[in-house]
Amino acid sequence: MKQEQKTAEKTPAILTKLLLFSSFLLVLPHIGQLNTLFIVFSLTLLLWRALAMRYPQCLPKKILLLPTAVLLVLFVLKEFNMSLGRDASSSLLIILIGLKMLEGQTKRDAQAVIYIAFFILITPFLFDQKITQALYSLALFFILLIALIINNSNISKITPPAFIRITGLILLQGIPLMLVFFIFFPRMIGPLWALPDDVSTAVSGISDHINPGAVSNLALSEQTAFRVQFKGQQPTQQELYWRGPVFWKTDGQQWTLSKPPKLPVEINKKIADNRQTYQYTMMMEPHQQFWLYSLDTPIKAPPHVELTGDFQLIAQRKLSRNISFDMSSSTHKKLTSLTSDDKHRALELPDNTDPRIKFLVKQWLEQSKSEMDVINQALQFYNQQFYYTLTPPSLGNDPVAEFLFNTKRGFCGHFASSFAILMRVAHIPARLVAGYQGGMYNKVGDFYTIRQADAHVWTEVWLDNSGWVRIDPTAAIAPDRIQHSIDVNQHQLNGEVKYLLTAPEGLNKWSKNIGSFVHSLDYYWQNAVLAYGPETQLDFLSNVGITDWTQMVIWLSIISGFFVLLSLTSLFISRREKNDPIQKLYLSFCKRLAKQGGSRYPYETASAYFQRVAKKYPSKKQALKKIEHYYLNARYGHGSIESLKQALKRFKHH
Amino acid sequence: MALTLRERFSFRRFTQGEPPHHHTIKLNHRRIFILPSKAGLALAVVILLMLFTAINYNNSMAFVFTFLLAACAQVSTLSSYKNLSSLDLTLTKTGPFFAKSVNELSFLVKELKGRERWAITASYDKQAFTFNLEPDQTKTIKLPFTALKRGWYQPNTLTFSTRFPFGIFRAWSPLLFKQSILIYPKAINSVFSRPVMNDDDKQGEFTSEQSGADDFIGLKPYQAGHPYRHINWKAFAAQKGMYSNQFSSQSSAEYWLDWNDINHLDKEARISQLCYWVLESEQQGVHYGLRIPSTEIPPGQGSAHQHLCLKALALA
Repeated sequence: MKQEQKTAEKTPAILTKLLLFSSFLLVLPHIGQLNTLFIVFSLTLLLWRALAMRYPQCLPKKILLLPTAVLLVLFVLKEFNMSLGRDASSSLLIILIGLKMLEGQTKRDAQAVIYIAFFILITPFLFDQKITQALYSLALFFILLIALIINNSNISKITPPAFIRITGLILLQGIPLMLVFFIFFPRMIGPLWALPDDVSTAVSGISDHINPGAVSNLALSEQTAFRVQFKGQQPTQQELYWRGPVFWKTDGQQWTLSKPPKLPVEINKKIADNRQTYQYTMMMEPHQQFWLYSLDTPIKAPPHVELTGDFQLIAQRKLSRNISFDMSSSTHKKLTSLTSDDKHRALELPDNTDPRIKFLVKQWLEQSKSEMDVINQALQFYNQQFYYTLTPPSLGNDPVAEFLFNTKRGFCGHFASSFAILMRVAHIPARLVAGYQGGMYNKVGDFYTIRQADAHVWTEVWLDNSGWVRIDPTAAIAPDRIQHSIDVNQHQLNGEVKYLLTAPEGLNKWSKNIGSFVHSLDYYWQNAVLAYGPETQLDFLSNVGITDWTQMVIWLSIISGFFVLLSLTSLFISRREKNDPIQKLYLSFCKRLAKQGGSRYPYETASAYFQRVAKKYPSKKQALKKIEHYYLNARYGHGSIESLKQALKRFKHH
Repeated sequence: MALTLRERFSFRRFTQGEPPHHHTIKLNHRRIFILPSKAGLALAVVILLMLFTAINYNNSMAFVFTFLLAACAQVSTLSSYKNLSSLDLTLTKTGPFFAKSVNELSFLVKELKGRERWAITASYDKQAFTFNLEPDQTKTIKLPFTALKRGWYQPNTLTFSTRFPFGIFRAWSPLLFKQSILIYPKAINSVFSRPVMNDDDKQGEFTSEQSGADDFIGLKPYQAGHPYRHINWKAFAAQKGMYSNQFSSQSSAEYWLDWNDINHLDKEARISQLCYWVLESEQQGVHYGLRIPSTEIPPGQGSAHQHLCLKALALA
């Protein structure tokens, strides 16, 4: 009965205000991430509740609210084809909190609102895990804890100092425990259940097909694709070719992925023998694709990742989370054999190759003695007549021919795809490689940031005496592009391709330094927090000898148990209950006396107790009287502690 | 007070409290228990859902906030404990009360640690009262209760509990006090008139000088229990001290309230009737004696006398 009374109590206005405030703040990060319609729904419900604070009569009737809630939920589910993925559940939750705010007036309802709010708190991270969002959520978490306290204490007006102190204390005690859980809680590879494909998961990055103009939308994006930290030797800027997907197949319009060749075992050995290797750690942002990037030729694939015959790294699942892995690569060409099957694929031409192309290549072939001569002729052709721009004219049905003979303006996508076609016409096996070129070095954190703007496409051709060789036709036209990164801001200002060339000075230098600092902060965040997943966890914990999840669970229990014990002992160290020395002496004497004359009742005064003992042992009456006198004098009068000590000492000899 | 091993592990400790205690009880780790509340179990479900989300998306920040919520929930038990511990509780008013009437059990709660305490609920027999405490504050808590039977009443378990700070854990401390509370019988007048007052046959016992009932015969120093209407207010106003007027009838009016006079009633009805007469006689300021099978209390007057009579009736 009493509990019902308690939970039926109305929430104080201050709590309703606080809950409305935090609900608004919870919906805010979802703007731009979720369907605007649902955000409008949620905000409308919250605004309605806010209005009702002033005009209580406009609160909806419960009979009306329930069907509205059911309809809204069904509507959201229908929009997402009845599947509860990231977008669907986030949308549902922000609408649910609005409905619950409107419906509930009692303490129990407020408790439910706060629980929903805790859940909403983690949903923005499913979209983006920035530091700023983490700090924002932490502040909201703090406010929600305070709301919980207000809801569970019987106050009508707020007394923030006490509650803020208590919340702060709980948070400070909770953080170490959270860290223990974060580090030791066993992480699993792969989802518990299949995730529905969320529409807005489409992230920028290189896609699984390339057409000549494909990379232009990336070229101006400052977004980070991945970060790299080298151990020991660092390659030069020109060597920073980050290989991604390799394309063998083209229909004349675009290049598409096909099943990559298997890696022969003996090749694997040969690469490992190569001395010229770079050791580095890759930290990749989720890009919703199967492939991973690596510097030039990777030597060994990370666990659960396949290294293919054309040196792609293919993961078992699409990369939907931040990961980090250690790699070693070689930038030196490897001589491997080309199977007839692969050779056939690397020479395949689209059905309708323009005769002008064939004619051009025929001219080159006549003038050349070797394959290398043909390549040089082609590069020269580009160098003399072509122009590098990020805003090329659009191309029609036969983009390669149109580009080569009409527009002659373009960037890496145009150059590489047309070059590969030219090579194939000249009967030189060629393939297209997509990836990134370059990277910005961060002095503060000693790492490279590779942005989407560094996306690049180049070709690899097969030469009989040196194997697959990287030929980057873009370098022939715009060598600066290979040596420096594109200055995105400059390009946006005046549409010209400028490169990050000289070291900035003065104010620019300062802003650049601050920029490096922020970037390296982001890097550590990425490296230490976001990329902490199944692989990194095992890697990290194996340093202390923990190698499987049962051990993790055991250590998790031991350490968190230790934390609980530690906090419990703090309860027993009391600051105010220290007895004064006189009382200590008295109490220890009472203990001694208890062995002979029975223990003192807690309510007994010194005189009453001593009298009782003296009745039992009349011989000690005098001594006890003295002790009583000195004790009372020392404790309450002006007597010294020394005389009490002496009296106690004398009693010993009795 | 040390507990035996058996007492320490007895289930009674968690529900009813330790064996009754005589004096002030201090709430400490031995007496305070903590378990999740319904709201706490609901939060556990929410945390589990959040954990599934974090695992499913392998999302580091989702893990961080899920674990942070769980850790803060866990740590909040310390705050619950600190909210309840180091309170001194004393049962102050221990009656006597009358049976079947609503009485107030009153407790003294003393804050010992110089901390603010929030939303502590004292509950007794389905009655609850929630209060806050200032640092070092001493507060009297009154809880209504009704004793149904006369005689010695042994207080039930008094429970102090708190759901502070998050409402997800309930810390509680069941307390039993040794003090017995004397419950007087319920006063019921079923005869309507004292037979002794009107029955002439009883004149031998009832030596009243009815005619001069209010003859003033002098003053005597006031003692607790003298009827208020007999206080000599004139003397009091003249600051001569408290005196009671003495009337001739008072000293001589003396009668017995006798068990055997109301033979036609059953035992409990007789006790209630006698109780009623005791109260009535005391109010009228006459001297009365009580004769019941177990005891005989010679005629007298005053609150002490009344208590003696009522106690005898309560325990009859």
